[in-house]
Amino acid sequence: MVNYTKYVLKSNEELTALLADLDNIFVVACNKCFKEFDTIDEPECAAFCELAAAQGKTITGTARLDFLCNSVQTEKKLEGVIPEGTQNIVVISCGLGVQIIADIEDKPVFSATNSLNYIGHHGMALTEKTCDACAQCYLNLTGGICPITDCTKSLLNGQCGGAKNGKCEIDPEKDCAWEKIYQRLEKQGRQDDFAKQPVQIRDYSVAGVEEIKKYVAEVRAARFEGFYGGVHPVENKEYTEHIALQPFPAPKQVIIPTGQHVGAPATPIVAVGDTVKVGQKIAEAPSFISAHVHSSVSGTVTAVEPRKTSRGEVTCIVIESDGKDELHESVVPAKPLDELTPDEIVEIVKEKGITGMGGAGFPTYVKLKPSQPIDTVLINGSECEPYLTADHRLMLEYADDIIFGLKAIMKAVNAPKGVILVEDNKPDAVALMQEKTADIENIEVCAAKTQYPEGAEKMLIKRVLKRHVPSGKLPADVGCVVSNTASAKAISDAIQKGLPLIERVVSVTGEHIKTPGNFMVKIGTNVQELIDHCGGITGEDVTLKMGGPMMGAPLADTNVPVIKGTNGIIAIDTDHSETVECLKCGRCVDVCPMELAPLNFAKWVDEGNAQALLDNNIRDCFSCKCCEYICSAKIPLVAKINQGKGMIMPLLQPKK
Amino acid sequence: MLMTRLKSNEAIASLVDGKVFIINCHGCKEVGFPEEEAKALQKELFAAGKVTGIMTTDYICNRENMKLRLSYHKDEIDQADMVLIFSCGVGVQTVSEYLEDKKVCAACDTIRLPGFQGVTPQEVDCGQCGECFLNLTGGICPITACSKSLVNGPCGGTKDGKCEVNDCMECGWERIYRKLEAMGRLDVLRCPTQIHNFATDDATKECKQSK
Amino acid sequence: MKVTDLFKEGKFVVSAEVGPPKGINVDHLIEEAKEYLGRCDAINVTDNQSSVMRVGSLAVCKALKDAGLNPIFQLACRDRNRIALQSDLLSAAMFGIENVLALTGDHTKMGDHPQAKPVFDLDAVSLLHTMGLLEKGEDLGGNKLDGEAPSFAKGAVVSPCSDSVDAQLLKMERKVAAGAEYFQTQAVFEPEKFIKFMEKAKQFGKPVQLGIIIPKSVGMCRFMNANVAGVHVPEEMIEELKADKEKTKAGITGVEIAARIIRECKPYCEGVHIMSLGWESKIPGLLEQAGI
Repeated sequence: MVNYTKYVLKSNEELTALLADLDNIFVVACNKCFKEFDTIDEPECAAFCELAAAQGKTITGTARLDFLCNSVQTEKKLEGVIPEGTQNIVVISCGLGVQIIADIEDKPVFSATNSLNYIGHHGMALTEKTCDACAQCYLNLTGGICPITDCTKSLLNGQCGGAKNGKCEIDPEKDCAWEKIYQRLEKQGRQDDFAKQPVQIRDYSVAGVEEIKKYVAEVRAARFEGFYGGVHPVENKEYTEHIALQPFPAPKQVIIPTGQHVGAPATPIVAVGDTVKVGQKIAEAPSFISAHVHSSVSGTVTAVEPRKTSRGEVTCIVIESDGKDELHESVVPAKPLDELTPDEIVEIVKEKGITGMGGAGFPTYVKLKPSQPIDTVLINGSECEPYLTADHRLMLEYADDIIFGLKAIMKAVNAPKGVILVEDNKPDAVALMQEKTADIENIEVCAAKTQYPEGAEKMLIKRVLKRHVPSGKLPADVGCVVSNTASAKAISDAIQKGLPLIERVVSVTGEHIKTPGNFMVKIGTNVQELIDHCGGITGEDVTLKMGGPMMGAPLADTNVPVIKGTNGIIAIDTDHSETVECLKCGRCVDVCPMELAPLNFAKWVDEGNAQALLDNNIRDCFSCKCCEYICSAKIPLVAKINQGKGMIMPLLQPKK
Repeated sequence: MLMTRLKSNEAIASLVDGKVFIINCHGCKEVGFPEEEAKALQKELFAAGKVTGIMTTDYICNRENMKLRLSYHKDEIDQADMVLIFSCGVGVQTVSEYLEDKKVCAACDTIRLPGFQGVTPQEVDCGQCGECFLNLTGGICPITACSKSLVNGPCGGTKDGKCEVNDCMECGWERIYRKLEAMGRLDVLRCPTQIHNFATDDATKECKQSK
Repeated sequence: MKVTDLFKEGKFVVSAEVGPPKGINVDHLIEEAKEYLGRCDAINVTDNQSSVMRVGSLAVCKALKDAGLNPIFQLACRDRNRIALQSDLLSAAMFGIENVLALTGDHTKMGDHPQAKPVFDLDAVSLLHTMGLLEKGEDLGGNKLDGEAPSFAKGAVVSPCSDSVDAQLLKMERKVAAGAEYFQTQAVFEPEKFIKFMEKAKQFGKPVQLGIIIPKSVGMCRFMNANVAGVHVPEEMIEELKADKEKTKAGITGVEIAARIIRECKPYCEGVHIMSLGWESKIPGLLEQAGI
């Protein structure tokens, strides 16, 4: 790998002169970027300390940090680190790091290094190609060889007279750029095009300081608005966002897993040969963190056995539908919301098997029994995953039910305020929700900037309430309950119709689905049936996922049932990225919404360093995949981190 | 850091010559990519029947990956008379090196933003001059904070503390002066006359070659 | 003749300034200089002033010298790298032009070629330093000059009424350290500020010429207040210009104001530099009124 580190230590003479006036020095050293990621200990810090010691100077301490230029994280890392008695700070870093520290600290800051003068930026994947970002790309005239960076004189109108044997007059090892350009154009028969070009004169005034300043301010404001990090992948929602929800045709058979949620699987309470009706409880939660399971059809139980699901092999209850969709006698509306007590609401939510429907499937009733007072209930209508439009359609078509569900949750947890968050890429849903809640005093609609992973609870809370949920804590610890739109609608159905959670909205979409759509699907419906109903898969090289492209689970086998957490089935292009070595570009650190350093986790997993993983909060990672999305070396970071989460398990066992 | 800006419609129209294969790079999209404008333009080209294929991927500057990904689109590329790339200059150069026999064109101009690493551009910048002046200036870079990159103090062009080039920019040397004054370190400016060395690339070469 | 020698003699040095035209005919400029600037000890020739491209400063200096006048070669760092700057300095010396005023120069964006690449390879300070080296028979690259070394009267500029006057003083100090022998100032309309500045500038022991612009009109003053760094025309002066439009138009009020400023500041400085901006004809009258 080419070494692109950005700085070198100043010469001994320079440093000696610098040190002459300084004492009681704290040293901040950057661990460097754009380099082979093999050593943590860069030698410059020790070399500087040694030199200072030799001159009888006191070093009050040192800090070695990654990516000093990440001002947000650097400021946090340096908090309280610099000991009293420090008079001067010496920074070992490129000019960015020095300036960032000089901005943060009040003490005099000095640089022990010189930045190296690379011409041009080199792309995020290390390459010898450079771009001077001249704002007037000339590559179209030159066959894709840059005359600004490759020609020593940055000539724009052809070769100077200085080339000898095809080499540059300044550097005999460097090919003459214009010779290369000529050969390239000749090969493509484009010399005449070039000859006819008007005289090129570079305009040094393009992209003025005002435009750039404005842009930087905008980008920074946007990036640090709400929560740190995050990305904005191509939305690809246009396949289905305008397609109304359709009831999916009743399936002949449903396979209903007993484990669709976080916690223990439910215990089957029906046996083969039993007849069941719609909404009948067929499996019961055995413990606090679990959820009941109900039949989504009326018919006969034909098997109770382990079957393949998207969550692995799980005991399933297989029911042949009789096509009558007869309701079970337990399906009766509850009292009006006004008359229900909070405990009664929680009981209904528990009884009707309602879980989180955004993916993980945490039993909702558990959230409704918070240990702390709750002041705000958030309805998560962000649907930040690309492709998916299930929540979007639900908000447009079941707005009243969602608002009813929100009111029920607010009553259950005695919260004075409710907020519905919708990302601003769904303006129609924002407008409708605003209209519907206009007369409700204690419910607000928040239209938030579209940014993945806004739908994650901790991000959502930061965005809406500017509250930080500390590592290892839950939303309730900061006075919030978060529910997604589908769960809110399910709560409404449970109270107003007495219906348990037996159907859900699913987007079937992606560039490889022939006729994409949004469907109201019964739990237990076979995924392949859904795909077939949409005309099947088109093209080759397709990746299927249950959920969105970021956090969805790959579907190796489509012969699995739709479960409570299935918000989408997507068929998208396969990613053929090849992993290369980590080049320490620091982008994963820049986008991790939990403010972790994913590159280090990957390294420690490879090294087997479980303690380091634990100490650096690997458990905070919720697999949003922002790091992997942005990784310029295409490292499967989330898989590595999941492996790492397994590695720390022995350390978490109580010592015997 | 950098951002890309679409060339003018006329400029792009004049490039398009026969059938085109389009490549979008989304690797640095978080920083600045004219996503909507690019989409609209490509739709237009597509409607005109000029497009043999569109490939949207990230980090087209990652040569190993790009090779593999381009190979999946070989037929579409072969059918095209040219390849039109929506990326920074590095991406265009990477592709044009790989598709040496094809006319490869850039649809974007690339603009440098302050800061090196990460997707977030910085308010401070490093000019990579190879002879750090920050010790004389209280940690404010005269190369990047002064429009003229003066290293011996302010010019006479400051008006109300603003730079003569653009009043959206504070005079870098006023900032330096204030900072040093606050630190009680104005004495550092009484150093010998500074002369900018534009030949500091030897150290760069050395470092680049070292492993 | 070196202006530094005049300062040494204790003379109150008067200089004026001419701006080369955008074209090759300088006859008119030379005629006007001969007619009106006879009383001046030296005449500055601006160097692509305000980043507007014009005929070269050095060539006009030579023409003035041939006409028997004493030019000051203004040399800006905006348009030349260190090679061109040193080369032009040698050229000047070759013509016997010894007065050089070192300037950083306005940014290219300020002028009529905003697309141009701003050079700023050196700045005014390093240019003064470089002139010192040449005088020692050595160039900036450490190479020996052939034969006799050139000798310059090394001038520099300073902006006494700038809103960041302390930073200006520090820069002035650096210019002195780099070899500046005398200073010309930006136009002064506020004598009290200038006097205060001079109290501090005294420590450097270098002669300073008060910069003067004859205020031509209310509009000109307003424009300078809005756009020219380090220049502020006080409101009461503008009122004075407003009072009698005919008198102002004829230049009488402007000359009165300028003469008054010179008289007030004269005890505190070593000379005056008049930037006449086309009103060369007013200079003899101004000098008379100012009692010089």
